[in-house]
Amino acid sequence: MKPAKPSTNDGCPSNIMKSTSNRRSFIKSLSVAAAAGSAALATGCIPSADAAPSEEMKLRWQEFFKDNYRLMTQEEKDATIDRLERLAKIQDNLDIQMGNNPPLEKVLYGYAFNISRCEGFMECVTACVKENNLDRKTNTQYIRIFEMEPGQLDPGTGDGRYYHKVPVDNRFYMGTQCFHCENAPCTKACPTKATWKEPDGIVVVDYDWCIGCRYCQAACPYYGRRFNWGKPQIPKDEITTRQHYLGNRIRPKGKMEKCTFCIQRTRSGRLPACVEACPTGSRVFGNLLDPESEIRFVLKHKKVFRMKEELGTEPKFWYFID
Amino acid sequence: MASEKSFIDEIKSSQEKFDNRSATQVRPITQKTVLAQEQDQRGAFRVLARKQAIERYKCSSCHSGAPVTAKKGKELTHGDINLDHGQGGQSLSCIDCHHPKERDFLEDKKGNKIDFDHSYQLCGQCHFRQKRDWIGGAHGKRVSNWAGERVVFNCASCHDPHSPRFKKRFPATYSVPLD
Repeated sequence: MKPAKPSTNDGCPSNIMKSTSNRRSFIKSLSVAAAAGSAALATGCIPSADAAPSEEMKLRWQEFFKDNYRLMTQEEKDATIDRLERLAKIQDNLDIQMGNNPPLEKVLYGYAFNISRCEGFMECVTACVKENNLDRKTNTQYIRIFEMEPGQLDPGTGDGRYYHKVPVDNRFYMGTQCFHCENAPCTKACPTKATWKEPDGIVVVDYDWCIGCRYCQAACPYYGRRFNWGKPQIPKDEITTRQHYLGNRIRPKGKMEKCTFCIQRTRSGRLPACVEACPTGSRVFGNLLDPESEIRFVLKHKKVFRMKEELGTEPKFWYFID
Repeated sequence: MASEKSFIDEIKSSQEKFDNRSATQVRPITQKTVLAQEQDQRGAFRVLARKQAIERYKCSSCHSGAPVTAKKGKELTHGDINLDHGQGGQSLSCIDCHHPKERDFLEDKKGNKIDFDHSYQLCGQCHFRQKRDWIGGAHGKRVSNWAGERVVFNCASCHDPHSPRFKKRFPATYSVPLD
């Protein structure tokens, strides 16, 4: 945190109240105090970070006053992941490695799902839950697989709760998750700008700026977003410790979360966990801008469609058939 | 909208090849791989080697023309193989794929010897559509990375060549209704 600067009105609300005689000047000086921000708070009204009784309190205090991720400088980003790593160590005795890898140049991620290959084994779902530190208590899942009748293409008509031996004859399986729309309606609904589309096309959430209002969930036509009603509960030996600030770090309580194409993996050139886990090869992932990529091969040579294409959301998730 | 350039057109007009060197953190693949005897849209690619995954390779250690004792024969018989490959009642037999004389190799219908590491050449005789998609990237999948040198799974990495269809089984988990 920056050192406290002396402010013109000495920054303390009680002094403002004493010295003002009318409502207008009161509000004016109050806004000056607000603009002074943490500097005003540090002058003595509220204990400052340096005066915090423990290291944990100090870190939490600094975390509380950090910027939106998109406004942070690289130094601030590095500082916040250092704090979060340290807090995980203090609070839960966890050794995590958190990253803030920036997007790769000339990359736009795209995904394709082969509905004639998927056999509904749901190994993608378990891999996703493990990789992304999803809450085991409420069985949160970013991916859903629907068992579909032939001829249907809307997962709303399918059975998303099947549990029997698969594949069933004369049924096909269709997976949904966040589609990372190029024209994402969820990002427009957010009142705190806590969710946005990164330059590589991944729609991300800054969990510390999310206020949990769930407007984005209502705005998403694909049911791609999940709200957590509590901090994810995970057996300690199953926690994925290689994390990303915008990805699979353990979210605080009351935040919106969703598939991030495993940002912690894909920005290092690895495949998302669901693709790596798929036993049938139904999932294709790659760089849409590269004419030689697998995803471009699918778009060029296969019959593809996207869900609710008429909405103009331009999802970067295609379904295809052999 | 109709007259404007759509998102799809923008993607399809992008012709700049991705430079794999810009993905600096790609994890090296630890499994043994071989250079495929095919070319994909990029050129050469690699495929997971197969031979070291076959428990009893080399086959010629038994299939050498020398007599096998009865006891040893019982141990090493291929009775565990469930041959369920081919349409309906016209199931394939061993020598439809395996070389009848040189047992360390496979044999295609033209009589060419095929290495176990390159069995896709054999499978592709019938499953030519799958082979074409596999080379391009719409069938099968890459190992671990989307960036870096392309390494793909071999046919027999996922499919049991003697019984290639995936077995029915319970899903790995279940889903609860959304809130």
